[in-house]
Amino acid sequence: MSELQLEESRVKEAKEAKAQILDMESLNNPAAMKLYRRLDGILILVLFTFLTLGIQIQFTLTAGDWDYWVDWKDRRWWPLVTPLTLLMPIGAFTYGIWQRVRLPIMATALTTLLCLVAWGSHYLNFYKFTYFPLTFVFPATYIGVGILLDCALVMTRSLVVSAFIGAGLFGALVYPLNWPLIAAYRTAVEFNGTLLSLADLMGYEYIRTTTPEYLRIIESSTLRTFGGSVVPLTAVFAGFVSIVVYAIFLWVGSYVNKLVTFAKRIM
Amino acid sequence: MGVRATKHIMMAVKKMRSRLGLAWVVLSALVLFSGDVLAHGERAQLASMRMRTVHWFDTQVTPLQAKVGDTVTLTGKFIPSVYWPETLPSIAAMAFLNVGVPGPTFLRVHSEVNGVPMMRSTAFPLGKVYEYKVVMRARIPGRYHVHPLINVENAGSLIGKGTWLEIDKADTDAPFVNNATVLTGETVDLETYGLGGVIGWHLVWIAMGVAWLLFWLVRKELFIPRFMRIRALGADRANELLTKKDFVVSAMFFTLTLTIILTGYLWAEWKYPLTIPLQTGKVGVLGLDVPDGNLKIEVDSASYKLDGRSLTMHAKMTNNGERPLRIDEFITANIRFINPKVAEGKIVEGEEMVARNGLTVSVDVINPGETKDVVIVASDTLWEQYRMTGLIQDPDSRFAGLLFYGDDQGKRYYQEVGGSILPSYF
Ligand SMILES: [Cu+2]
Repeated sequence: MSELQLEESRVKEAKEAKAQILDMESLNNPAAMKLYRRLDGILILVLFTFLTLGIQIQFTLTAGDWDYWVDWKDRRWWPLVTPLTLLMPIGAFTYGIWQRVRLPIMATALTTLLCLVAWGSHYLNFYKFTYFPLTFVFPATYIGVGILLDCALVMTRSLVVSAFIGAGLFGALVYPLNWPLIAAYRTAVEFNGTLLSLADLMGYEYIRTTTPEYLRIIESSTLRTFGGSVVPLTAVFAGFVSIVVYAIFLWVGSYVNKLVTFAKRIM
Repeated sequence: MGVRATKHIMMAVKKMRSRLGLAWVVLSALVLFSGDVLAHGERAQLASMRMRTVHWFDTQVTPLQAKVGDTVTLTGKFIPSVYWPETLPSIAAMAFLNVGVPGPTFLRVHSEVNGVPMMRSTAFPLGKVYEYKVVMRARIPGRYHVHPLINVENAGSLIGKGTWLEIDKADTDAPFVNNATVLTGETVDLETYGLGGVIGWHLVWIAMGVAWLLFWLVRKELFIPRFMRIRALGADRANELLTKKDFVVSAMFFTLTLTIILTGYLWAEWKYPLTIPLQTGKVGVLGLDVPDGNLKIEVDSASYKLDGRSLTMHAKMTNNGERPLRIDEFITANIRFINPKVAEGKIVEGEEMVARNGLTVSVDVINPGETKDVVIVASDTLWEQYRMTGLIQDPDSRFAGLLFYGDDQGKRYYQEVGGSILPSYF
């Protein structure tokens, strides 16, 4: 580095230090705090609107029919696909929010916003406009596992460690979390001499012209079951894959963050 | 001068108005018409695709007028074409018998093919006859175009012709009920069953989520101040921003959440002790043999007029049976071309796509033991209406259809005919 460059960077550092002192002082200034609070309010509004739209589109595209119909919520694929697809945006956003403002809110915010927007869209699109009964098209909930992930972040104070505990629980507990919602529709019924669950029967009775029976991906059998218990096996597997996916998307988040810093430097 | 100018303007406005009126009428007619077409998509597929996939016939819906809660039955037959396009995934691999209605305006309470219940997906080997029956219970009042429909995996939907159906409101104002008796003997209404639990648990979780967000977002210093403090502290000491209270509340939420998940799970196990996984499977169904009445048909050539109004077929037919046979009908792409001289096939109430005088046959009767060269011409403006003109655009110029004939005792026979088809420029 030349003398001149060294001098320049020194000046820059001094400027930044001065700015930081000014910043900290402003925190004691009621007028400044009022302004900050107002800006924060706008920020929350913008951020939450953006997150709502984003998660709605992303979840519709990836989880789609799994989320729409009660007869698609199987034991093997639904509790695997949905946590993975949710952990992608959660991981990416958690990194930035945690590093910058230390707020453990992204998992809960995204799952709660998704729940609200899914109710709105299912209610309008399926119940009001196309006459499906709500019993057939209610959305699943993921808020519980979202809270666990956020709590794990505060309790461990580490993105990496929380990935193991929080994301692991997130993936593993989707099925038990939703069991009180869907268990009613797994009651057995006999129809034309065949054993069906009520969900299967509803899938047959409430006509869907473009979602034929063969499209449902219910369970691909394997001879290597663990004493016939599909649910715990899927839970362990989903938990493990969730950890990996969450970690990958934390890294994606950090990468995006670096790009932002880089962009700032250029400007 | 002023008066004349005003008159002129008035005239122009009047003219414009009438023209606008006409345009409005045309436009709304177009919208109505295209809406009708778009609603079903029966003309959307390539002409040859419609001719060589599924031959639907004897389609009937009864009754044509019903009330909510009443039962409506859709019956008919179909033959998957042996000329099934190579490029299209086959109906003989994976298919599902469906009904083309706008969503759950009806409940499907029963469906069968050749006596086999069709709750599941199946496969329909080509060239066989399948008799289907779909029983539905009207659920939402309205006027509907009901079609038989088969979903073919990776290929899409194949749609039979539609029948208009009028569903009126039920006599009572009571809500629609869809009862099912579960194996434990309890009768439940699937329109509302379990919904209390669903909404209750959703409310619990929404409350938990909102509480967590409020705890973190309602505080004196939020995004901007926290950002400044972290910048001042540096990345290594940023965790100092988390207070003891934050930690305690998080631990509480963590425990509470796990407790609620466990409670919910145990509640569900207690409330619904007997549950089964979602059921799936594939049923097999045997096709019936085509009743060809021992008539041997060899198609020598076939052509269609470029304007798309007629199809001509030259065939050599040998009657190996014991009764004289007369050709009365040709069906392709859901259009019925009827030979008015014979007219054995009956036309049901509300039936569409029927060309009553659409078929001319050069030979009146084929007697037992006879071999005759027969020229069959199927022509009607329906060809145009259902976009058969597009045949020239098809990458594989072949056709297929069902030929119907009967003997002197009123017995009706049919078989599939098909082969290459050439455009005729004259
Ligand atoms: Cu239609």
